[in-house]
Amino acid sequence: MRKLVIISLLLVLGYYLLDTFAGAEFGKDRKVLSNYYLEKSPSELQVANAVTAIVVNFRGFDTLGEVTVLFLAATGMGTILLRRRSKHTGLNPQRTSPEASKIVQAAGKLLFPAIMILGAYVFIHGHLTPGGGFQGGAIIATGFLLLLISYRQFKVEHKYVTWIESLAGLTFVSIGLLGIVLGPHNSFLENFLNVGTLNELTSGGVIALVYIAVGFKVAAELTGILDTLVNIRETGDID
Amino acid sequence: MVANPILYIALPLFTAFLVPLLAKLWKPLVRIIPGLVLAYLAVMSVVLMQQVGPDKPIITMIAGWKAPWGINLVFTSFSGFIASLISILAFFIWLYSFKFKKVEFDDAQKYFILFMLLTAGSIGVVLTGDIFNMFVFVEITSLSAYALTAFYKGRDGAEAAFKFLLIGSFSSIMLLLGITILYAYTGTLNMAQLAMLMPQVPMHAKIVSFLLFFVALGIEAEMFPLNGWAPDAYSQAPGPIAASFAGILAKAGIYALIRVSYTIFDLGNDGGFELLLVMGLITMVVSELVAMRQENLRRMLAYSSMGQMGLIMIAFGLGTKEGIYAGLFIMFNHAVIKSLLFLASAYLVYYTSRKKISDLDGFGKLLPLTSLLFGLGAFAIVGLPPFSGFWSKLSLLIATADNHMEFVLATILAVSVIEIIYYFRVLGRLYFRKANTEIKVRKPTWNSVVTMISLAIVIIAVGLHPDLITGLLHNAANTLADKAGYIQKIIPDLFSQTLN
Repeated sequence: MRKLVIISLLLVLGYYLLDTFAGAEFGKDRKVLSNYYLEKSPSELQVANAVTAIVVNFRGFDTLGEVTVLFLAATGMGTILLRRRSKHTGLNPQRTSPEASKIVQAAGKLLFPAIMILGAYVFIHGHLTPGGGFQGGAIIATGFLLLLISYRQFKVEHKYVTWIESLAGLTFVSIGLLGIVLGPHNSFLENFLNVGTLNELTSGGVIALVYIAVGFKVAAELTGILDTLVNIRETGDID
Repeated sequence: MVANPILYIALPLFTAFLVPLLAKLWKPLVRIIPGLVLAYLAVMSVVLMQQVGPDKPIITMIAGWKAPWGINLVFTSFSGFIASLISILAFFIWLYSFKFKKVEFDDAQKYFILFMLLTAGSIGVVLTGDIFNMFVFVEITSLSAYALTAFYKGRDGAEAAFKFLLIGSFSSIMLLLGITILYAYTGTLNMAQLAMLMPQVPMHAKIVSFLLFFVALGIEAEMFPLNGWAPDAYSQAPGPIAASFAGILAKAGIYALIRVSYTIFDLGNDGGFELLLVMGLITMVVSELVAMRQENLRRMLAYSSMGQMGLIMIAFGLGTKEGIYAGLFIMFNHAVIKSLLFLASAYLVYYTSRKKISDLDGFGKLLPLTSLLFGLGAFAIVGLPPFSGFWSKLSLLIATADNHMEFVLATILAVSVIEIIYYFRVLGRLYFRKANTEIKVRKPTWNSVVTMISLAIVIIAVGLHPDLITGLLHNAANTLADKAGYIQKIIPDLFSQTLN
């Protein structure tokens, strides 16, 4: 009976959501924001990738917020996650899993540098080609994930992770604050450097710098999160 | 001094990223620097509040793009008032907690990072003029709140945090869906432009997205029946954090709810305010009735806090200027008084794991100052003169009487009696029972005494001289009620185009 009520309520909710979304004309050219962004990204900011211009400049404040959300997730992770010890062996399930095969280990070692370079390439060229700090950072973290799953004794040094994520975060906020001092409109996160020429690596002013900082930060945080997940420390109070 | 609303967000974020490095330099810096930053923000609030007026909001562009192209921060008499309240309260909570015993160095680092981000996120929700940006700040606020709930490692804390996380994630999804619908129909995320374009949105889409916002923000604002997370979170989080949930987190939630219902949807003619009123009534009655049955002091305060949030919703649900005024006054009082109660109660139940009210016998003699301050807070929150709580409750009663809502008025009075019963039950135990001789008590540290006495002084000062604050409240109420003015100040070009 209770399930029936829940299902019918969900159906009603689903119907209204469907109705609302069916009524909205997605993809319709509203000529409001999108055209403005498409026009201003190459002309004023000299950024070839309009998505990057939106993410880092027009709505850079949101990006700062999202980076903070990731930082919080990494910080808060350890406080919320607790792992129970196995009743039979008294060990963490993960510790009893077998070592990865030699093939995986060798391939992991081989691929790791290539993954690092790809990740760095993606976030350094965020203002020119598809991709950017978040994507590049995620790629780098997958490299570490590969090492974490192929070598059981592989440990990420939390000291370095902390340094990188702190310095990258500080760079982002500092660039923002410098915008207040040096920018033409004295506003936060504003571009204050020479924007250069379209399609060149040095174009886009601070946008490229911010995305590099984001790349480092995302890479460090995701790696930290992965490491926390693999080695959840046992704290007291577990019965 | 440099007073720019962007610093409310930029400085705490900067500090949060800096604290892990400071820890390597000299450990006490982890406690000191956040305090200095919060002190700066509190002083900046006073400076900005003097610059702002009903006709001259401080609008801050970000990345050099004007609204609606870029994100902006809007510091008006209304949003500025709440932001100032939050920042000043955050400073007091820092002062209270910087020597808190259970916070050791490693944990202190995490504690202050999360607390700074909780504050920055809440102020961001209040100041932003962009609806998606608001979502981002709601995320920052809730994530730090989850982590702080589980701060004392243990099963109960983890359970409370996980519950909070589940409900909070649900709220985030609802909020994002609501924003998506608005964006799909209007093509903008700027709140002022959304408010301007709202008449073009078909009614059914308006209702669906309003309900999504209402549920999502109702969770943050502790509305019944969406507040299941609150009692656990309040009772498991560290004492000062429980105070900041009441004074900071819930304030940001209710602010967002009000901003969305008043400015963006403006459902005054379509029954939106009645919904707020009815939900407020239900929240108040249910929470206060449940509060009466609580045996755990923290949980009792948590339910009382939800009851107060119900009262605030009722005030804003009236839809009149007097209602807004009363609602803001209650928000102010609730932030100050409930913080004092939570801060004092943290010492009252310091050594008891179950935090039971029945363990408080005779504490009036054992901890005279803390008990006195708790008693003062209890008198103020139920609305007895000469404390500040009296004036806010009186203004709400007058506002309901002006609207000829006798039923609402009678309910508020009846619920006040319930409030008196359960608060006085605690006071009776504190003062009229014999103390258990074996009980251990924790004497408050000097910094927490200073904090609690400062809050008590505010309560008494506003109680004796309500004009200290009524001017600010009137300005704030007028600003919120003036929706056209809000749109015109933020997007003057687009606004004048539609008039022609």
